[in-house]
Amino acid sequence: MHDLPPPLVELVDVSRRFPGVVALDGVSLSLAAGEVHALVGENGAGKSTLINIISGLLAPDSGTIRLAGAEVAWSNPVEARRAGIVTVHQEAELFSTLSVAENMALEQGLPTAAGGWVRWPRVYQDARSAVDLLGEPLDVRQPAARLSVAERHMTQIAAALHQQARVLVLDEPTSALTAGETAWLFRQVRQFQRAGVGVLYISHRQEEIFELADRITVLRDGRRVWSGAAAEIDRAGLIRHMVGRTRAESVNLPEQRHAIAVQPIRLHVEKLSDQAGRFEDVSLSARAGEVVGIYGLVGSGRSEFAQAVFGLRSAIGQVHIDDRLTSITAPAQAVAAGLAYLPEDRLRQGIFRGLSLRANTVISALGSLTSGPLASARRELEATDRQITALGVKCRGPQQPIGELSGGNQQKVVLGRWLLTRPKVLMLDEPTRGVDVGAKAEIHRILRQRADDGAAVVMISSDLPEVLDNCDRVVVFRAGRIAGEFVPRDTSPETIAAAALPEGTAVETAARLKRTRRPPRRWGSELALSLAICLLVGVLAATRPAFLTADNLSGLLATTAVWTILSLGAAVVILAGAIDISLGSLLALSAGVGGLLLKLPYPPGLTIPAAIVAALAVGAVGGVTNATLALVGRVHPIVVTLGTMTIYRGLLIALTGGQTLTDLPSSYVGWSNARFAGVNGSMLLGAATAAVVYLWIGHFRSGRHLMAVGSSPTAARLVGISRARVWLAAFAAGGALAALAGMLELSQTGALQSGTGARYELQAIAAAVIGGVSITGGRGSVGGVCLGALLLSLIYNALVLWQISPHYYQLVTGGLLLVAVLVDLVWRRLER
Amino acid sequence: MTAISLRRLLPMLLPVTLGLVAIVLVVSETSRPAAVLNMLRPWGEIGALAAMMTAIILTGGIDLSVGSIIALASVTFGLAWQADWSPALASGAAMSVGLLAGAVNGTLVVAGIAPLVATLATMAFYAGLALAVSRATRVSGLPEAFTALGQQSWLGIPNQWALFLVVWLAALVVVHHTRFGRYLYAIGENPLAAEFAAVPVRWVQWWLYTASGGVVALVYTARGGAAVPDAGAGLELQAIACVVVGGTRVTGGLGGLGRTLLGVVVMALLDVGLQFATPNAYARLLLVGLLVIGVAVWNERWSSAPGEA
Repeated sequence: MHDLPPPLVELVDVSRRFPGVVALDGVSLSLAAGEVHALVGENGAGKSTLINIISGLLAPDSGTIRLAGAEVAWSNPVEARRAGIVTVHQEAELFSTLSVAENMALEQGLPTAAGGWVRWPRVYQDARSAVDLLGEPLDVRQPAARLSVAERHMTQIAAALHQQARVLVLDEPTSALTAGETAWLFRQVRQFQRAGVGVLYISHRQEEIFELADRITVLRDGRRVWSGAAAEIDRAGLIRHMVGRTRAESVNLPEQRHAIAVQPIRLHVEKLSDQAGRFEDVSLSARAGEVVGIYGLVGSGRSEFAQAVFGLRSAIGQVHIDDRLTSITAPAQAVAAGLAYLPEDRLRQGIFRGLSLRANTVISALGSLTSGPLASARRELEATDRQITALGVKCRGPQQPIGELSGGNQQKVVLGRWLLTRPKVLMLDEPTRGVDVGAKAEIHRILRQRADDGAAVVMISSDLPEVLDNCDRVVVFRAGRIAGEFVPRDTSPETIAAAALPEGTAVETAARLKRTRRPPRRWGSELALSLAICLLVGVLAATRPAFLTADNLSGLLATTAVWTILSLGAAVVILAGAIDISLGSLLALSAGVGGLLLKLPYPPGLTIPAAIVAALAVGAVGGVTNATLALVGRVHPIVVTLGTMTIYRGLLIALTGGQTLTDLPSSYVGWSNARFAGVNGSMLLGAATAAVVYLWIGHFRSGRHLMAVGSSPTAARLVGISRARVWLAAFAAGGALAALAGMLELSQTGALQSGTGARYELQAIAAAVIGGVSITGGRGSVGGVCLGALLLSLIYNALVLWQISPHYYQLVTGGLLLVAVLVDLVWRRLER
Repeated sequence: MTAISLRRLLPMLLPVTLGLVAIVLVVSETSRPAAVLNMLRPWGEIGALAAMMTAIILTGGIDLSVGSIIALASVTFGLAWQADWSPALASGAAMSVGLLAGAVNGTLVVAGIAPLVATLATMAFYAGLALAVSRATRVSGLPEAFTALGQQSWLGIPNQWALFLVVWLAALVVVHHTRFGRYLYAIGENPLAAEFAAVPVRWVQWWLYTASGGVVALVYTARGGAAVPDAGAGLELQAIACVVVGGTRVTGGLGGLGRTLLGVVVMALLDVGLQFATPNAYARLLLVGLLVIGVAVWNERWSSAPGEA
């Protein structure tokens, strides 16, 4: 018997449900080595779910996946990747503040030598050789945020080429590419084929499918409806399989069309163009009594259009409601003008999951439900009850939290919310997505009723039969423009479906997307800081000779050292995406423990190391406690550290009995001012600490993972980086650094009071932010923080030398922090 | 009233238990009822701040600059008084400064800076401003009528508690019985959905923080007393503690004035009870910290949205 080799990837009878909807129903698919297999289907057919299962993002509810004959089950995308499955998603999660090269490397795992030392030359080399395949110069050292959409796709594909992929999954890869780039892609795909890689290719572009694919599988409503060789089918056949199903009895009776034609025009949109370029020159009208369908692929600009009309996006053009030109810049104005918009993403944009049905229903119509100046619970409940009955919402009552309802019923509630505003124009975005069949029919009936009552209904949908069955007219969107207008009764479904599909290799889309402006490069804040510091030093030296004395300078350096160490502690936590305002108290507590140990009657050779170790341990434990409470309790770090701030302070007072700690052994006090090999002790410690932190954050895998988590927690999770481990390390390091700073200060001042360290964390955070650390995490440098600490110390020194009263110190700190935060905001705005 | 369900009651269990413990502590020391009443005075102020803070926390925000705004108001009053303004005018000046400071907070938040970060920065800035402007000196010679405000009672209720009552009632009405209040819950629960639901999110936030500044200034002027540049330091933590201990969720969308009242009562009684039980300042600090964290964690655990794992 001749045994054929097993297919490279085989899905057997795979199913997957989500609450309220079956995304995949017993789908089988096989991909052979060296084969290009196209996956085709409308939106909602199940393609995304299938891809997510193959790439390890989702697990199937039932069915098996086999890789080269062996059964596999992945629990996360990293495992799938290691098995050789490389997926190029349409929308990738990026570490926007990290370099392109590092982004590429993180997906595979950073290349490291022993102990976690990152091999940067390898990272850049790999990235460059991957990018060289593109034939276009691309700087892999630049932050990934600066890549345009096309460049992002290209680098992803190039990175996939570079890895030892056995299976390549491409999700709409050409949506942002020019003709030239697409040709390059095809060449690469054929190269893969020759190398024996199996390619799963998802696309709407018929020409590409027929040019590239060996076999095609068509999905519809979560089921496989056809699978076979590309040679066995043609364009018309494909569309028929994608779309066709026996049409239900048309709800739209022919006689109604005459009646509609004489109804007043409710909505007239004239040449509306999106500011961000997602749609252009769209004109549309809808009359009272009419249900107008908007059909098109995701990304064709339909949702953006409706949102722009509703005031959620900025656009130029004219919108007329009932023949009156209306200016709409915010949803509140839209509602006042008689518009309503049911959003596409029910979970994120529609419902208030923890609130009651009542709250969810009345939120947009509160103005009409007041009695006098106050809100009226009675009227709200009545209105909610009315909607529940009218829409047939299955629930326990208006006080039930909406999260407990099924998807279909949730959708009805949101629909009820908008119906309550008595809109003249009702726009709905995918109103029956994720809704069971029964509720679907009810919603359609309600919409028709509304139209009959005099409203104009605009229904956006990717479900062609739904559009055909319920709409008087269908407007087709393609690549941000209107591709055609049809009357369902008079047109075949295939014509309408074909109108929505992009033609050839859409140069128009690529050109449009390439127009997105490249954000300006962030100034090296280090440069600005260095300039400011030089300037300040210059002015000080010129106006106050006392500045340049050895005494003053060594004092300055001593303070700078303490601030540098503490600011690094604050920075490390902020870089990881969190914040720790208990650092000042931790500093004091650790120094308190250390100080007490120092006073024990043992030889200094014993007590000093013991005190330092103990202090560091206290700091680290304090930090770990903060992190644990935030992670396990799922409470924001600011609240946790707001609490531990007082706890640690309280512990210090308990330890010292509220007394000042003094009389420390002289062998300890003063080492910070002593000279070691000619260098001031404090400075030495400060520099050494900075060096260690610099090496950690910049050159060790754990440090890079810290930056990754701060840059994008979502992307980090997708590449298998654990935020919990990162936060534990970051907070521990922050606490230990605070302890170190405390012990240093103890050596400098020789005393510790109960109030020492109060408000220090604020200044540390200020120094970090001034030094270029982004308050949201993922961006910043050790050098910048050092400069920030230096600037702060210089300013205080200047205030003393210029004999400005101490009352201004806090103002300066606060002012600097405010300025730094504002500058950070401006840069973030510019980068958007 | 919401249907009584176990899930909703559980978060209340902890603060109520603590409240009972506190009452026992205090009652066992009622040999000095007048002393107790006096010790409770500062908590009236904190309660008023907590009532206002509840509204902010409901939207998922926070205002850390509250203590510093008190300092600013205090300093403004002192300066106005030194410039020979009448107490009434000086109070008006203090109120205006408070409103202005709150408006700056509101503008920063609306511009896109996280409330946490924005009010952390303004906390430092306002405190510094107060110190700088007053050159760290107290203003003396304030009118008797003003300074005595802090010691007086109105119908037997200490002034501070009367203030708390007024502010709390006003907050209760606004948060639970007006459109504005409904918007707060929506914004806290899902800010994106609020935008889509035509809630004027930015307008609400701006007025919220501005009002906070005004209420804070009101609290200062009602307390009378000195014009001291570091007045109010640390009050924000205690106000936030009251809100959190009462059971309002830190991430917003859940809670209310009733819970805050519970929180204020618990914190106040515990504080007073502890002052009798032990003279240690650190015990009180430890308690506040532990309570804030413990209750916040407890609440998060028990109030995860239905349908979540």
